[in-house]
Amino acid sequence: MTAEESDLVLVKRVQRGDKSAFDLLVRKYQHKVVKLVLRYVRNPAEAEDIAQEAFIKAYRALPQFRGDSAFYTWMYRIAINTAKNQLASRDRSPIAYDLDLTDPEESHSVQTKLQDPDTPEGMALTEEIRGIVNSAIEGLPEELKTAIVLRELDGLSYEEIAAAMECPVGTVRSRIFRAREAIDKRLREVFEGGLGRTEEMV
Amino acid sequence: MNEERQNERDSQLSAMFDGELSGAECELLARRLTRDETLRGQWSRYALIGAAVRAERGVRLDDRVARRVQSAVAQEPVYGDSAAADVAAARSGTSSSNASQARVDAYERWLRFARPLAGAGIAAGVAAVSILWLRTQEADPALLASAPVTESIVLEPEPASTTLALNTAQPDPEPISNGEPERYSTPAPSSQTSIAPPAHFANYVVAHSEYSGPLTRRMALLGIVGADSQAESATEPESEASSRVEAPDAP
Repeated sequence: MTAEESDLVLVKRVQRGDKSAFDLLVRKYQHKVVKLVLRYVRNPAEAEDIAQEAFIKAYRALPQFRGDSAFYTWMYRIAINTAKNQLASRDRSPIAYDLDLTDPEESHSVQTKLQDPDTPEGMALTEEIRGIVNSAIEGLPEELKTAIVLRELDGLSYEEIAAAMECPVGTVRSRIFRAREAIDKRLREVFEGGLGRTEEMV
Repeated sequence: MNEERQNERDSQLSAMFDGELSGAECELLARRLTRDETLRGQWSRYALIGAAVRAERGVRLDDRVARRVQSAVAQEPVYGDSAAADVAAARSGTSSSNASQARVDAYERWLRFARPLAGAGIAAGVAAVSILWLRTQEADPALLASAPVTESIVLEPEPASTTLALNTAQPDPEPISNGEPERYSTPAPSSQTSIAPPAHFANYVVAHSEYSGPLTRRMALLGIVGADSQAESATEPESEASSRVEAPDAP
């Protein structure tokens, strides 16, 4: 089964009325979609808003999704169109850019919103997570490190990694799982109860 | 759950995240994922590890977008009826997707047989109506009598004597013909009412010959000839009988 087919299993569950399956798709692709939108808008907060809007549009359009293309390809197009529409509407209404500095309270709220992901706490959390993951990877045995990097950084399939590492596909699956488990263990140690509570911790 | 089974489940989760799990296992795990919050948290962290490895700058490494989307989607309508399908599937021991797929398959099988049968039925109905209509047309003398003979074509029946005279006369040199007859000779109208008047019928056939096939036209003309023969044979005995009655008076 490919990643597309795996996503399609979740998509079909959503189409049958399982909203939590859509949540799994959002959790899987949220970072990729935000990164994609950041090519169009510089502001991370705005990129998150656009990503959120794109996911909601995708949910509304999901009954018409027939699986002719991969879910992420379809989602990719929705996100780009949403970002372009946002840019076009912003061009039509320059108020969003021109902060009314005569109203200090409103000016402050807009500034806060724009800078939200760049707050020291937000930046610190992101950098901390990144540091934990990187140090965990550095501490991995070489074969686990190679397997997880080939998968996550280079996007190779298990079969391609097996060919590159000259080992069976089953071994690749096991190595990637063990690498993830080791990294996840470090993350859990830092953030007790998982990353779902990081916002509250911040 | 013992450690070995948990490891196997987590290994499946990792493979599913990468799209490397078999279809059946993926279905089962997807169902479990939607109910098990611990497993969902693990799924989220796998996504986060990937984002951290790819060093996606400007992207916050948390679930904020997902949580905002989740709360927004909660206000949206639910598609289908997964709960009922899952309960039914769990009771019957099959997955909901299998149950729905089986229903779709059965419907498609029924359509495969029903379509040709329906087509054949419609064709048979049209044929039956056509035959009945044709029979009605043949049997209805009023229609034949009301055929637009004089209006649709300029053809006047010639007396039989004229035709006879023409036949006995010395033949003229053949005129140059373009394939179309210059005139038509049709029999004189008959006084008999038991069958269609041959003259009218012949006019009708000629007038409508452009709409009928050659074989049909020929059959119709043969019918006219046959009708004429019958009429003649019906009148001949009368003349013979009258001649026989008159015979004793003859010198």
